[in-house]
Amino acid sequence: MPVQGVKAVTTARNGVGAFILQCKRLDFHYCDWAGSSRGMVAFLKHKLPAIAKENPQIEIRVSPRPHRHPVIKGQYINGREKAICVRNLEPEQIVNKVSLLKEASGEKLKRIKKPVSSINESVRGIWSPFHGEYKGI
Amino acid sequence: MFHRSALARSLGLAEQLCTRPSITRIQASSSPLRNAAASFHQKSHAAQQATQTTTSSSISISSSAPPTPSTTPSTTTTASATQTTQQTKVPPPPQFTTPLKASESLLATLPHLAAQRPHFLTAHIHDRPYLITEGDSVRLPFLMAGVQPGDVLRLNRASVVGSREFSLKGAPFVDERLFECRVRVMGVDAEPLRVKEKTKRRNRHVQRVTSKHRYTLLRVMEVRVKGVEELKEEGVEVVKE
Repeated sequence: MPVQGVKAVTTARNGVGAFILQCKRLDFHYCDWAGSSRGMVAFLKHKLPAIAKENPQIEIRVSPRPHRHPVIKGQYINGREKAICVRNLEPEQIVNKVSLLKEASGEKLKRIKKPVSSINESVRGIWSPFHGEYKGI
Repeated sequence: MFHRSALARSLGLAEQLCTRPSITRIQASSSPLRNAAASFHQKSHAAQQATQTTTSSSISISSSAPPTPSTTPSTTTTASATQTTQQTKVPPPPQFTTPLKASESLLATLPHLAAQRPHFLTAHIHDRPYLITEGDSVRLPFLMAGVQPGDVLRLNRASVVGSREFSLKGAPFVDERLFECRVRVMGVDAEPLRVKEKTKRRNRHVQRVTSKHRYTLLRVMEVRVKGVEELKEEGVEVVKE
């Protein structure tokens, strides 16, 4: 075995033990007057109560934002924010956007080529030419 | 702040898996959750006997979500059809027609592997290998249907299970009763918008095709090799070579 340094304090890895949803808050902004908020107002009236009841772990805030397009903003545990403009969308389309914000990790979108990312040490160790028996050529 | 339903689900799963091999033991217990699970076991068992097929779905899902439709699981679909309520919707435990068979040499050498932690495992999902250890995060190259964040999946296809010095290779897969591998669904991630420019010759027009795929995020909760005692409790059949 190679020389090992002092072990670091364990890092928090969400989901290994307990699971915390990454989305912690959803802000809904709408305008009472503008036509682009019509779907949003219908959504707030008819769909939002059920969604809020299904997801007690998410804080939900609804606030008017006059003379602006309707927006849904998601706040995440990692401190980032994701905002989606839902102007002229139907309530069903807004439901899809809400589920997108709910399930998102909050990270910036990145192109990832390797599926597995690990912070663990290599299980089988790193090969060394100076250890092990001599195999011959 | 915890995902309550997910926690409850995972706890329920743990209990259920603890008592997986025998149905009679579950019936003997008095907890209401276990009783519900027991009745469901009976139901699924009946469905199983009616259809008489082997379970070989690549992923067994333990959640409120419906099981993923895969190639063979006519049994899982019938079992989930009998279960309609959202709260008690626990996936059917795997049912095996024959007991696990292990050679004497395997049982003699398995303690070396089981005792040496940590373990790695090459799990196969849709026939793609993922080399995982406990605590890893996996972004699947596809969007898994029928799962929600917080769900716990049990991966039952592994081609290699190993530790620092020992590894157990399957031909082509290690029997799923020899190890436990659980992953948690963390959410859904998207890639940045891709724009592909399509052109035709001698034409100024450029068509821009966009795509934005979505991917399921997983976190490996558990990678464990079962010991010989545990296998004997579950009724392993020793085969002479």
